Amino acid sequence: MLDVIRRDSEESDPAAAPAVLAARNLTVSTGGRALLRAVGLDVAPGSVLGLIGPSGAGKTTLLRCLNRLIDLVPDLTVTGDVLFHGAPMYGGGGRRMDVDSLRARIGMIFQQPVVFPGSIADNVLFGVRHTARLPRRERPERLESALREAALWPEVEHRLGDAAASLSVGQQQRLCLARALANQPEVLLLDEPTSSLDPRSTEAIEELVLRLRERHTPVTIVLVTHNLRQARRLADSLACLAVRERAGEIVEQGECGELLSRPRSPELIHFLSKGAPL
Amino acid sequence: MRRSVGRGWIDRAFWLACALCAACVGVLLAGIAGAILWRGLPVLRPGFLTAVSSEAGASGGVRDEIVGTLILITTALLVSAPLATGVALVHAVYLRSLPARRRLLVALYTANALPSILFGIAGMVVFSRFFGWGKSWLAGGLLLGLMILPTLSVALIERLRSLPRKYREAASALGLTRAQTVWSVLLPQCAGGLLSGALLGLARAAGETAPILFAAAVFSGAGLPSGLRDSPVAALPYHIFVLAQDSFDPSVESHLWGAACVLVGLVLGLSLLALPARLRAHEEAQNA
Repeated sequence: MLDVIRRDSEESDPAAAPAVLAARNLTVSTGGRALLRAVGLDVAPGSVLGLIGPSGAGKTTLLRCLNRLIDLVPDLTVTGDVLFHGAPMYGGGGRRMDVDSLRARIGMIFQQPVVFPGSIADNVLFGVRHTARLPRRERPERLESALREAALWPEVEHRLGDAAASLSVGQQQRLCLARALANQPEVLLLDEPTSSLDPRSTEAIEELVLRLRERHTPVTIVLVTHNLRQARRLADSLACLAVRERAGEIVEQGECGELLSRPRSPELIHFLSKGAPL
Repeated sequence: MRRSVGRGWIDRAFWLACALCAACVGVLLAGIAGAILWRGLPVLRPGFLTAVSSEAGASGGVRDEIVGTLILITTALLVSAPLATGVALVHAVYLRSLPARRRLLVALYTANALPSILFGIAGMVVFSRFFGWGKSWLAGGLLLGLMILPTLSVALIERLRSLPRKYREAASALGLTRAQTVWSVLLPQCAGGLLSGALLGLARAAGETAPILFAAAVFSGAGLPSGLRDSPVAALPYHIFVLAQDSFDPSVESHLWGAACVLVGLVLGLSLLALPARLRAHEEAQNA
């Protein structure tokens, strides 16, 4: 009974639920110089966390720490930890964590779309084919549902065998989203996914983020954006990163509307005053 | 605005120097190719390609030499391609330390600069004497494979380096292991590099005499190899080398130029065969 009450309260208030992702005193450095310092944040299940701040503050570096993609960058040292459902990614047992399985559960979309040489269908099923051992007969269904979720199905249903590179940049970015969604991730990390897109594609991706948040099994989203209008529209909470003493830090975080309407830190006030679109 | 006279002259002189360099290379290549074709084409009748050499190269054709050369370079390719792929992947994917990567690259460049006669002597000592193979096509293929290994590895490393990092990141972000990323993303996109490196290496291997001199090639009496030990092959470069020593005889000289023409044609043919695949790989890389 108590469990049911707790679950109900978690469903109505995502912030009360245990964090899906949590950074604890996370520091990234190279050659003894900190790029990101003592970051602490919690991402509630089913919520959208927006990361905002000026260029060079470490937003992308932080995002890459959240699925250990930072491991691919040589000569970077990560201290502190990121917890995924409470399990440490880096410290303690984290070194023995199956990083590849972790990344399959935490999808990521980059600033520029990255499509592989091959057909549209091949691209969507690229991750699933390698990680999910999905039976061949179930692949068409997964393909269609991922493309529908990414709002790309009507545009490509009759040319699934065409080269993915033949799509427009906006369509390619939605294809990347479909590819990530086909993996059925619990968390999606979006690194300025609309920065290179036309307004129509931007709108489509923003609608998709809203739908993902509302669906039966919501996907938790961490979104890096420079666009404050987008942050206001999509994010439940925000964290502002800025450079302090030559390293990126979270200077302020909280509920989205509250943070944007009553900023306290000088860095956020300065960032908002620079004319980023509200 | 008026351009200064001095700057204009320097610009023109620089352009002229570059054009002269390019012209020197063009004239040199055209001269060599022209000389070979001028003297070799009259000998190239269909019978020359299908007949066996006779009378110490003064008559007959170069059938066995073509077959032997193809056997040697195919073996060299089969030996060097997987090894070079492994070396390139170690460098580009598995070695994380930058100094270690640099050391591996220096070792490859050094190996690339080794004189080919050293491979020949090493082959004689190791394969012919230590393993007791005598003169063997396999020894020749292995030696040529090892000789072109650095060229092929470096070409593949360069191709892997030129691949945008975004592909590896996107594959890793989907949860692919390193091995899956290598097989599904990196290697398919490096096919062009493997091909161009293989062609560069094979072009060199096809024309090399020194490595096969002691361990693999004979001038006459070699048909198709029947085994591994004491099973030599005839080879075009070795044939040309021996004929060149008797080139005062006009009939031998004409056969010498004919064999040279066939060797050039073989190398050119290999390049042309692989051209569509290279262009396709290049186009895909650009579209990606």
